[in-house]
Amino acid sequence: MTSAPSPSRRTRGVAGAPPPGARQRALFANFFRRELFSRYLGTFSGLAWALVHPLALLAVYAFVFTTVFRAGAMNGRSFIVFVAVALWPWLAAQEALQRGTVSIAAYAGLIRKVAFPHEIAVYASVAATFALQFAGYLVVLAALALMGEGVRLEGLLLAIPLWAVLAVAVTGLALALAALQVFIRDIEHLLMPVLMILMYLTPILYPLALVPKGVRPWVAANPFGYLVDRLRDALLDGRLALEWGDAVAAAVALGLFVSGRWLFLRLSPYFEDFV
Amino acid sequence: MEAPLLELSRVGKDYAKVDANGGRLRLVCDLLRGRGAAQVFRALDDISLELAAGESLGIIGENGAGKSTLLKIVAGVITPTRGKASVRGRVGALLELGSGFHPDYSGLENIDLAASLLGLGAAEIASRREQIIAFADIGEHIRDPIKHYSSGMVMRLGFAVATALEPDILITDEVLAVGDESFQKKCVAWIEDYLVDGGTLLLCSHSMYHVQKLCRSALWLKDGRAVQHGPAADVSQAYLAYHEEKAAGGKEPIAERAAAAAGVYAIQSLELEPPARIACGASLTVRGEVFSPDDRVPVVLLGVVRADGTPVYGVATDMDGVPPKRIGARRFAFALNFPRLPLLPGKYLARAHALDPEGVRLFDHVERSFLVEGETRELGLTRIEHRWEA
Repeated sequence: MTSAPSPSRRTRGVAGAPPPGARQRALFANFFRRELFSRYLGTFSGLAWALVHPLALLAVYAFVFTTVFRAGAMNGRSFIVFVAVALWPWLAAQEALQRGTVSIAAYAGLIRKVAFPHEIAVYASVAATFALQFAGYLVVLAALALMGEGVRLEGLLLAIPLWAVLAVAVTGLALALAALQVFIRDIEHLLMPVLMILMYLTPILYPLALVPKGVRPWVAANPFGYLVDRLRDALLDGRLALEWGDAVAAAVALGLFVSGRWLFLRLSPYFEDFV
Repeated sequence: MEAPLLELSRVGKDYAKVDANGGRLRLVCDLLRGRGAAQVFRALDDISLELAAGESLGIIGENGAGKSTLLKIVAGVITPTRGKASVRGRVGALLELGSGFHPDYSGLENIDLAASLLGLGAAEIASRREQIIAFADIGEHIRDPIKHYSSGMVMRLGFAVATALEPDILITDEVLAVGDESFQKKCVAWIEDYLVDGGTLLLCSHSMYHVQKLCRSALWLKDGRAVQHGPAADVSQAYLAYHEEKAAGGKEPIAERAAAAAGVYAIQSLELEPPARIACGASLTVRGEVFSPDDRVPVVLLGVVRADGTPVYGVATDMDGVPPKRIGARRFAFALNFPRLPLLPGKYLARAHALDPEGVRLFDHVERSFLVEGETRELGLTRIEHRWEA
């Protein structure tokens, strides 16, 4: 059958624009699915990879730090648990920033030709990264618990909101970086070393207590370090009580999101010409 | 009265001009402070138009005239720098090749993407997917990524998607040029059905044939500004005439005065009646004066050429034995009437040559351009008397 679909809709007149909420949800769902499937889940063994990858990473860290460097217990916990609890949130933030920064370029073809809210591309990219990394986190925590490493799984009650705070902050940063990347292509290349340096300046692979007293306030000032501490409180010690610092963290994250989005929306009308 | 589907009022669009990275940094700062870019290229300026439901508008103009920019503003892809654009209803846009397609997605995924871009739900799109696949008619390729498609296949899918999603306004930018003959016919037939059914069309094309066939009115853009906006036949004829004139190199009439000093026969004046515009098949009179340095009666050759220089007809006073009339010392007048000028619509020139009394030596010539207007789809230069045999 090759005949034209008959244009029979005139009877109902102007359809009108669809409700913006529905359109944005449909678009987000489409982009999000696409982001997920283009990484692991598209291939036949996709789901397996999504699980194997974090476990393999965990094994490598365990090998390097406990077998090669023979790192002992940290704060009374095995080193591998101590690192794993903090490492995955960092990986999520790092990957989300990197992918988010170039997410606008990935949708260049659409941006040049179709009208849609550009921020959805960034949201989908960040959300997909966080979804995959959080799934990996759960796999790793489960594996550690099974190995009898003393993970307090009830700590997830606090860990999940902390991840959410992190996601909001990272989304704000990613919005700003993505918008700037459209105009200044160097951002993408600067980001890599900056993130690398930040990772080693954050108490992920070491406790804050090991940092010499002179520089400790500087390292402690890292907001990501605060989140790491709180995650360790929850998942290693099972301390679930909220602190007022958590409210500050949430406020900072919200502030980052609002200002990142402001910058993005300010620049997005000009994307079409530069992507 | 129902509000128009599309309303542009004094719309303009500037593009920032930047080259090096330093300039881009400054541009970002300017944009963040809410100022426009410092150096801009004015792609579109002061365009106003309205399009009511059921109307069809063709947009014509040379490359870089701002046609695509205008369509992108209507499609909502770019926001105008100045003025206001309001669009009601669902816009189906076919902007260039593969518009709205993601190159890495397969054909099927792109159909879903296009649907979500329009905010259609999963159920709505499922019911139309078969229709789209059938209209595109690209077989198994529908499962391959778009980047492996030929341009014709992308075009087929694009048209199928844009049409099946039932736009209130259909925007097409030069897309009819890509498909093969049979697909083009299918598209033109679909658009005609769509228009008969009350659809609204914004067509951008270099093919005056398509514009005249599909559009009721037309807008001619030049350097981002509107040159002419009116019935499709008039605007497209004027546009074609402009191109013919441009191809001919724009010969200006020569000044008449210095003839006496040089001692040459020279046309002194040339006038058309009616001036500038005549209806197809109406009467045209060409009259003027000629200077004769030795007061002998010169020969005048009058001709009609198309604006691109193609001669259509020429006749001289000595051929018909009607010499110019002496109206004063060394001055002679001539007048030639075409009672029913059979020229087809377009831009033409009336050209007068002054010759010596022997009709041998050709001196200067003077031209006046005129426009033949009319609504006809006959082809060529002139209407030839004809009769269809049963």
